[in-house]
Amino acid sequence: MSQKISRRDFLKLATAGGATAAVLTGCGPASRYVTREPYVKMPEYTYNGLSTYYATTCRECAAGCGLIVRTMQGRAIKAEGNPANPVNLGKTCARGQATLQGLYNPDRVEAPVKQARQQALAAEAMNWDDATQLVADALNNTNPAEIAFLMGTASDHLFDLVTDLTNAIGAPAPVRFGALSMFESRATLSKAAEKSLGQAGLPYFDLGNADLVISFGANFLETWLSPVAYTRGFAKMRRGNSKKRGYMVHFESQMSQTAAKADEWIPLLPGTEGLVALALGRLVAEATGGSVARVFSTVDVREVSIQSGIPLEQLEHVASLIAEAQAPLAIPGGQALGQTNGLANAEAILALNALADNFGKPGGALLSPLAPNEDTYHRPANAREMKDFIAKLNSGSVKVLFVHGVNPIFELPKALGFADALAAVPTVISFATFPDETALASDYIFPDHHGLEAWGYQRSATGTMQSALSGAQPVVSPMYDTRSTADVLIEAARLAGGKLAEALPFTDEVAFIQSKIASLIGRTDGSFVAPEINSFTSYFQQHGGWWKTAAESAVLSAAGALNKNLNVNAAVFAGEGEFFFVPFVSPTLGEAGANKPWLQELPDPMTTVMWNTWVAINPETAHELNLENDDVVKVISEAGEVEAAVYLYPAIHPGVIAMPFGQGHTAYGRFAMARLLESRLVGLVPRAGEVGDPFPRGANPADVLGAYFNEAGDLAFAGMKVKIEKTGEKQYLSRLESRIGVYGEGLPQEGH
Amino acid sequence: MTVDLNLVGAKGAIAEAAEGKWGMSIDQDICTGCQACVAACAMENNISFVGEEDAGYGRSQHWIRIERFWEGAYPEVKATPFQPMLCQQCGHAPCEPVCPVFATPHSEAEQLNLQVYNRCVGTRYCANNCPYQVRSFNWRDYHTIPERGNMVNGTLVFPLHNQFNPDVTVRRRGVMEKCTFCIQRIHKAQDKAKSEGREVEDGEFTTACAQACPANAITFGRVDHPESLVSQLTHQKRGEKHLEELNTLPRVTYLKEG
Repeated sequence: MSQKISRRDFLKLATAGGATAAVLTGCGPASRYVTREPYVKMPEYTYNGLSTYYATTCRECAAGCGLIVRTMQGRAIKAEGNPANPVNLGKTCARGQATLQGLYNPDRVEAPVKQARQQALAAEAMNWDDATQLVADALNNTNPAEIAFLMGTASDHLFDLVTDLTNAIGAPAPVRFGALSMFESRATLSKAAEKSLGQAGLPYFDLGNADLVISFGANFLETWLSPVAYTRGFAKMRRGNSKKRGYMVHFESQMSQTAAKADEWIPLLPGTEGLVALALGRLVAEATGGSVARVFSTVDVREVSIQSGIPLEQLEHVASLIAEAQAPLAIPGGQALGQTNGLANAEAILALNALADNFGKPGGALLSPLAPNEDTYHRPANAREMKDFIAKLNSGSVKVLFVHGVNPIFELPKALGFADALAAVPTVISFATFPDETALASDYIFPDHHGLEAWGYQRSATGTMQSALSGAQPVVSPMYDTRSTADVLIEAARLAGGKLAEALPFTDEVAFIQSKIASLIGRTDGSFVAPEINSFTSYFQQHGGWWKTAAESAVLSAAGALNKNLNVNAAVFAGEGEFFFVPFVSPTLGEAGANKPWLQELPDPMTTVMWNTWVAINPETAHELNLENDDVVKVISEAGEVEAAVYLYPAIHPGVIAMPFGQGHTAYGRFAMARLLESRLVGLVPRAGEVGDPFPRGANPADVLGAYFNEAGDLAFAGMKVKIEKTGEKQYLSRLESRIGVYGEGLPQEGH
Repeated sequence: MTVDLNLVGAKGAIAEAAEGKWGMSIDQDICTGCQACVAACAMENNISFVGEEDAGYGRSQHWIRIERFWEGAYPEVKATPFQPMLCQQCGHAPCEPVCPVFATPHSEAEQLNLQVYNRCVGTRYCANNCPYQVRSFNWRDYHTIPERGNMVNGTLVFPLHNQFNPDVTVRRRGVMEKCTFCIQRIHKAQDKAKSEGREVEDGEFTTACAQACPANAITFGRVDHPESLVSQLTHQKRGEKHLEELNTLPRVTYLKEG
């Protein structure tokens, strides 16, 4: 093949390799943006009535799933999974499907604005020259130590660019955060891997090759780490082996969507997961006749049974399942980690894997490989680091704060006080695509493109054992007067001159990305080989990234996990209330899905509630408290209170109440908010204001979370005690599962 | 095939002998209820969302929905396996004979239940008669509700309309709609195969729900081709059809646990 590929050659190439229909890209610097052309001036590869497909990367979470987006006449029509990408192998979750509703959302920041921390999005647009100059001045005229970057978990290329920038001028490294990583307890997983597997990094649990899965709160079929990859693994575990159907046991205080797929859901008291794991380990060791390893030797099984509320026979039964299984696998996650003893819980659960001797083996606990251009695993900040960051903001030592890809006012517990800390920062510049809470509280919003209009790459942190870098390219030309944040920073650095310009000597974002992927040129162990940068970039766009063809797995030793003393202290719960409070990420909304109307209208898989927040309470408990479905209750913790409607949930521990995270926005566009209606069903809660006024849709459980952390610094989000008070109001939840509300059926008579 | 038409139940025997053409199998043992199919279907087929209030009245327009039922009481409670429910494309469809304006004909070529939007006058008889409750009615012109658009220089602009799939009709108020087995994809694949002088191959294309499904629980294809993947799955022991006793001849097979 010639060294340079013309576009026409490229077309042929794309068709020849067309496992996924033709994947087309523009090549070379001349065609960096796809343009919406009128019919009279069609791009040469566009035929009337035929679709063009582009490979890119989903940015709805940080997993880095590959997408193939179908476009027609310059419009994105449908997002599908990229079958070649090893993370998702052609599949997508609901949030990936709905990514177009972000692109075409009617509430986007359409131009740079001087927001000046107003309640509503500023109306008057700035021009980009002034905006870029402003960024240049902010970078140039501020002491580097007083500059801070706060970034989301996607996209990685921008994180790398900002890291280069801050390194060059001696500014603090960018801080990354996301609510998903907070609820995933990534720091705890990484620390537990370091202590048990011997290496820091994200563990990957090879569900697909296990025949028994013991999950401790890990909601891997919902939002956890890489849900599409884990769902694929789950399906393989269940039905991949024609001789034996995989079996699954799930310990969690409420039946989550993941728990619903388990053959046995075993409710337990929050915070006792680690003890249960140790007890199981001891029982298994005794049953198999081996010696009891040191880590399990001190646990009192009877005591664990009492503390966790799991009958002794049930523990013995699960232990016998483990003892008989060929390839048992224990997975720590969710509320097991979001406790003050979360790290010990994780270690105890990993010790079960050590007992099964499955570290680094098929069907066992593996360590996710680093991405191709990654030197070490950069985990996002944990909640304690965010607390320190907020303290730094409060101290006034940050003069300019840049925020990109994250909405901490909404995502962080209110108790951490991020919103108030912003007051101590003289200049806050947001690069938000949507007018979210944090963007509105900024001085300026210089909107970045939507992910489908943008260049980039995302490292797959976990989800595949093939080291993978997923590439992103624009699939449509930008809808509005937005500008890539990478381009803004490159241009600002050029304007500022000096060290800044030296740090980012690129003509544009694509040149920067090329500089980062150039090290892969000529590598023969990957999905394609290309001899020089232009053809490499073309292939990178066409394939949707670069990944190694072979899986790699570090050799891990189980000895460290077994031969140690492990004290799983009782979890400490903050507050006086009578209920354990368990927030969980909404499986359909995720951390940032609330502004996409079709995600709002997807029923929650378990409660089938749409468009709102509920409080899940055991029906028996509710009966004692004289609560019925749709009664509005106040959930009160020592950190705050929220109001939401009751959902009688038959599969939750009587002492626990649960609430989904994802709603309760006070900004973020019309679909994330509700409007006051003259209606029987919605908005019966008396609210001040005129019909049509916006108010938060649902409630944000982060508002009742306190600043408590586990040993690894992750938030003890399931470590609160709350009490509930009936308000006497009703809020009829829209749900798919019943027809309550139709023609007044099932509605209480009074008041109508 | 010869059937003695004088026998009792002959009509049923004829229908049963005809397997239909397109069919689907859904493995409930691996369906995780994640709603990716629901979202994919909505994105592919220009289905409108209806908003919180109308959704509460049961007017949501899911062509595919995921059912789950409770069994027992705490702590012995179980959620039944997630059950994606969509138009079963019945061979004997109860929705078909009740339409006064022939908006619900049966496609002889594709063996599907069609819905002719521009013929539909909105009697909703078909939805009443559907035992699977999979038809949804457009109670409003949802796509053009003014609150969903932005006023730009005096004109109401709907950015969300950019997403419309040009292969699928946008439905207006007063029209019934339902799952079509992505007939636009069927036709596209057939056209392509025809232009290349060949038959459509098994797995060459699939429906939006099956394409998205992260667990690969949904399989679509020709049920009249014994060698196709969907035929093989359908004839597994754990295959089961819903409300078969009504002689609706559903084309969707559910694979149970176990």
